[in-house]
Amino acid sequence: MIASFDVIQSGLALGLVVVAFACLFDRHLLRASALFVLFALLMSVSWWYLSAPWLALTELVLGMVLTGGSFFYALRAFPSAAMAAPHVDGSQHVLSHRLTRGLLALAWCAMIGVAIHYVMPEMAYSFAGHPLILASIVIAATAMGAFALHRHLLRRLLAFNILGSGVFILLAGMAGTVSGAQALISVGLTIAWLGTLLGVMLIRHLVILEGVSALEDENDAAGQAQ
Amino acid sequence: MITLLLLAALLWPLCVAGSAIWHAYRTPAANRHHFSLLWISASWPALLLAYGGEAQWSIDAWMLGGYWELNALSRPWLAFTAFLWSLAAVHARGYFVAEQANAQVGDNDAQRRLQRLALLWPLTFFGNVLLIIAQDIASFYLGFALMTFAAYALVVHSGSDDARLGARAYLILAVIGEGLILGGLLWAAGTAETLTLEGVREGIAGAEQGAMMALLLWLGFGVKAGVIGLHVWLPLAHPVAPAPASAVLSGAMIKAGLLGWINVLPLGVEGLSPALTQLGNVMLVAGLAAAFGAALYGVWQRHPKAVLAYSSISQMGMLTAMVATGLAAPDVWPLLLPGVVLFAAHHALAKGALFMGTSISEHMPRWPQPLLFALIALPGVSLTGALAAGLLSKWGVKSALYESQHEQLIMLLTLAAIGTAALITVCVWRQWQQRQSEGGNAFQWGAWLVALIAALITPIWLPLPDTSMMAPPMEEWLGIVWPFPVGVGVVAVSAYLLRSVRLTAPPAGDLWWTYSALVVRGLQSVRFIAHTCERLKIASLARSLAFEKALMGQLQRWLPGEGWMRRHGSGLMMALAVVLAFLLMWEGLR
Amino acid sequence: MIERFGLHESTFDPLWYTHWALAATLVLPILAGLLGARCAPRRLFPVALACLPILLAGALLVFDYQQAGLLRWQWQVAGVEISLRFNGLSGLMLMITQWVGAAAALYTPGHLRITHPGKRARWLWPLMGVLISSLSLIWLAADLLTLYAALELMGLAAVGMLLLSGKPAALKAGIRYLLLALVGSLAYLLGVALLLGYWGALGLQALAEVVEPGPVTWVAAALIGAGLALKAALFPLHGWLTPVHENAWTPVSALHAALVIKASLFILLMLWSILLPGTLLAPRFVAWLGMLAIVWGGLIAWRADSLKTLVASSTVGQLGYLMVAFPLLLGPSITPLAEALAWEGFWLHLMGHSLAKAAMFMAAGNLIIATGESSLRGLSGTSRRLPLSLLIFGIAAVTLMGLPPSAGFTAKWLLLQALVISQQWVAVAALLAGTLLTAAYVFRVFRYSFDETAPRHQYQPLAPGMDIIALCLALAAFALGLLAHLPLALIQGGGV
Repeated sequence: MIASFDVIQSGLALGLVVVAFACLFDRHLLRASALFVLFALLMSVSWWYLSAPWLALTELVLGMVLTGGSFFYALRAFPSAAMAAPHVDGSQHVLSHRLTRGLLALAWCAMIGVAIHYVMPEMAYSFAGHPLILASIVIAATAMGAFALHRHLLRRLLAFNILGSGVFILLAGMAGTVSGAQALISVGLTIAWLGTLLGVMLIRHLVILEGVSALEDENDAAGQAQ
Repeated sequence: MITLLLLAALLWPLCVAGSAIWHAYRTPAANRHHFSLLWISASWPALLLAYGGEAQWSIDAWMLGGYWELNALSRPWLAFTAFLWSLAAVHARGYFVAEQANAQVGDNDAQRRLQRLALLWPLTFFGNVLLIIAQDIASFYLGFALMTFAAYALVVHSGSDDARLGARAYLILAVIGEGLILGGLLWAAGTAETLTLEGVREGIAGAEQGAMMALLLWLGFGVKAGVIGLHVWLPLAHPVAPAPASAVLSGAMIKAGLLGWINVLPLGVEGLSPALTQLGNVMLVAGLAAAFGAALYGVWQRHPKAVLAYSSISQMGMLTAMVATGLAAPDVWPLLLPGVVLFAAHHALAKGALFMGTSISEHMPRWPQPLLFALIALPGVSLTGALAAGLLSKWGVKSALYESQHEQLIMLLTLAAIGTAALITVCVWRQWQQRQSEGGNAFQWGAWLVALIAALITPIWLPLPDTSMMAPPMEEWLGIVWPFPVGVGVVAVSAYLLRSVRLTAPPAGDLWWTYSALVVRGLQSVRFIAHTCERLKIASLARSLAFEKALMGQLQRWLPGEGWMRRHGSGLMMALAVVLAFLLMWEGLR
Repeated sequence: MIERFGLHESTFDPLWYTHWALAATLVLPILAGLLGARCAPRRLFPVALACLPILLAGALLVFDYQQAGLLRWQWQVAGVEISLRFNGLSGLMLMITQWVGAAAALYTPGHLRITHPGKRARWLWPLMGVLISSLSLIWLAADLLTLYAALELMGLAAVGMLLLSGKPAALKAGIRYLLLALVGSLAYLLGVALLLGYWGALGLQALAEVVEPGPVTWVAAALIGAGLALKAALFPLHGWLTPVHENAWTPVSALHAALVIKASLFILLMLWSILLPGTLLAPRFVAWLGMLAIVWGGLIAWRADSLKTLVASSTVGQLGYLMVAFPLLLGPSITPLAEALAWEGFWLHLMGHSLAKAAMFMAAGNLIIATGESSLRGLSGTSRRLPLSLLIFGIAAVTLMGLPPSAGFTAKWLLLQALVISQQWVAVAALLAGTLLTAAYVFRVFRYSFDETAPRHQYQPLAPGMDIIALCLALAAFALGLLAHLPLALIQGGGV
């Protein structure tokens, strides 16, 4: 029983990590949004397995339907004339930029890992015993790194949502699904949805006002620097 | 009643000044009369007040709280001051007749000068009255300062180069003196936490640093009273001032310095600190030095008014010596004070008469000349103590000193009287040499005659306490009278002996020239320093500008850092978290 | 330290009307905001009428605190314990929030009437209400969950308000702010997750009792610190602040600079003093950053071209003063006297800056509205035409510069004293340099405004009250320096 449980949990964890990575680093925005919906679905399943059906439902409604829907809503505002181009984030980053973000993400990984090592001493013995927590650390750190890396606003919004999910799993994994943790997660989910909605509306506004290029933060930063 | 008189005494000069302003704007220049009866009457209420009896007033609303008094000291003082001012005003009316006429026919310069004099004369007098009746520091100082600075116009009146020099000397020393007085008064008042002059006296007597306060005040008032070293304005200012102005300067205003000493120094207080006694000795020496030095220097002067100025210095030197005994030998002071007052009053009137006399010899009325010059010399003779009021005043001082066995001081004062006699002789002689018969004015010689008579009979009209005056016994007469013939004799003999030697008169103002040379030297070095600083400033300014430019360039290169931080906000946040965690762990695990 | 935040047992239960005052404090702003959205007031009078009960409720709470000491509330909602507490510090912050909020609300009708922003303006009122309510909740909250919820609510409301101006620049700045604020609170949540997982407590008081130094505490503190520093715009994470303030409406900038960033700072200081009592290096690091902030903020403001950038950049520098006090408040082996002085100086400076910065934004907004130009150069000639606005700017600047007798002076004096006692000379130098830089950029404004050579503009007349409200705020900041003993008595007394 335990073994099978572990297998499912490990599979879930692996799926989450893979989908999260794919979502974070896919330049095609439409595909990334679809991947996010898949990720939210997996999250919902994970909540179910962590025996928090209430949270699973919330995730399904808030995370998958509403937040995921928001992204598609944003993408619909993009000009349809050149279907291929606008949905791809074409910005390039210099190597040092990527390298520092990568290192910072690793450092976060290590930092959170150390802390969790103290919270759950048994993890020291069976490292694979808590695959979801492991996955959540990786997801959170990577999402944070990706957030810092990307310039495209929609991708940053995606990264934020995945970061949130990582934090929520971590919370649930460590604190269990006690009422306090559940409340925190519910509030967090709501806030994430509200924030995403606000962000999406902003993005639509911006696209309508200034075109797709305005979404790449770099331009405005470069303009400020001159 | 007496309060009304007080109000009149203080307000009337102000009204007169106001009317001078009124006339300046309202009356056409041609029929503007500056020395009207109204103007002359400015000092009359004050004179009446002096005879109104003793009184006290305290007025809380006035500045820091006014406390005024008419007492045994201030009454006679007010009497002779106001009397002299009245006579000088009458004299001025005659003295300025020619100038007035010029002004009325359209000499704008004369017009302006007369206006200035007519305005500031009553103001000066107002200050003088206020300082005499004031017993609180604020009123006293206000009066003193007002008198000092308003009197500038009296000195500078003629506007010639010499007059400007004299006025400048007067003003420079006056400012120094005011500074010293203010410093001393504030220090003493602050230490003793008092607002009255009596409190200052007690404070100085009791304070640890009392001698320093007393020194400041002595020197500060000493500028007015012509303490040796600070006297240099007198021989410069007197010859150039108009005769009536000289009369009040030398008669009344100099005495304000003396009154200042009497008011603030702890004279006659038993058990003074050794430092204060020492100060008394220093004052004594300074006074006697002035008494003799001024006589020795003054006899060489050509201008009769310069001679008289040195005579004033000499006389004030004697008074300084007497005041000094109040510190050095406090037990004598109560006996000495009436004598000092009489001495001061007599000197005021006599010196006033002598200064007016200089204008008489320049505009002689058609009288027999021997009579005229005898009259001109008469107050001088009295001043040496040879007759009338002079005799009495000398005796008043001497008898007090006799009683306390200060024979040496008496001897020295008597010798100083020889100097006085010599100075008077020289003065009359110079006047004789420089006489001009241009016809006098009745106001001019009338006032002079009244002053002369008043000087001779000073003890009769001066409201002194009854017991304080007595005639000397006959056997002492000779002891008091002999310096006069000796002094005349010395001058006659010297003149005879030196008739073939051509001597150049030393310049009036003696030490002034030394001072000014020193100051010029000092100014040169200051100018040099200023020049160096200027160059330094220009150099450092250029360097600062270059530095600023460089800094701004550097800054412009840094400022895009703001944009960098904006773009990398989230990355920096990650880094901050890592750094904080690292720091905490490092500290915690160490 | 923890006692000063009121995290201990209370002596008396709250009275019946205290509950109502609390409810009014937390709910009335939202209701008033909704009402505002419905009616869109165009005059001062109805706004003042709506502010009055809120201000009264706040005053009543402070009065109760003075009578009964610390007030506590606890509720059990769906198995989660929610706790609030009201001590002197909460009272003080609540009062500042309400009064500055009321001033901003009173300023708004005039501003809207002149700028004609269109229909969007309706949304300002409910957002403002939510902002004030959530801020009040932050000052009162005593558990991590409530703090998180209130913080997020406040952040979203703030973003919403900043976006209302609708310019592309405002949208860009707003979305950057939104993303950073959200991520900042996720970092905070991550820290909270660690704390909850290890110690199992969400209530601050319970946490304070069980927490011990260890890697979990440290990592959690670092994450919370970084997240909140981002939200509080502490140097070097302040980049988002300037563009946001630059493009927002005047009352919104005023509220944001005066209150919103202070809330994150408040939480940061409170949590760190629970988690990290007696640590040296991390607070010292923050203090070093603070010194850099003072200099950097001053330089940026000095070289700024637009008036609002100048005012916004000066906030960065002013926050630096608060950061400098961190080692004195948290560090080990600080003498009680230095700690007490720093504590008083910290809050006094915070309050003084809130009032002065709100006044300054309003004055700057008035100048910009009247001249129609936002650059410093556009100010030329205003000395003659708009002397009152410039005067307000000047009075507020006096507080920022820390000239006596303003609150800025008193606060800096206290801080300097504490720094001198604990011999932190570099910080003293930074404080003094900050004063000089402040003077430099303030006088730059005046230099332009006294320039008479520029061509005459058509000046837009201001609505009544716009100047008066700003003047009242500036004078309040000024008077706070003279009456500093009143608020300081509140944060000293009762808390311990």
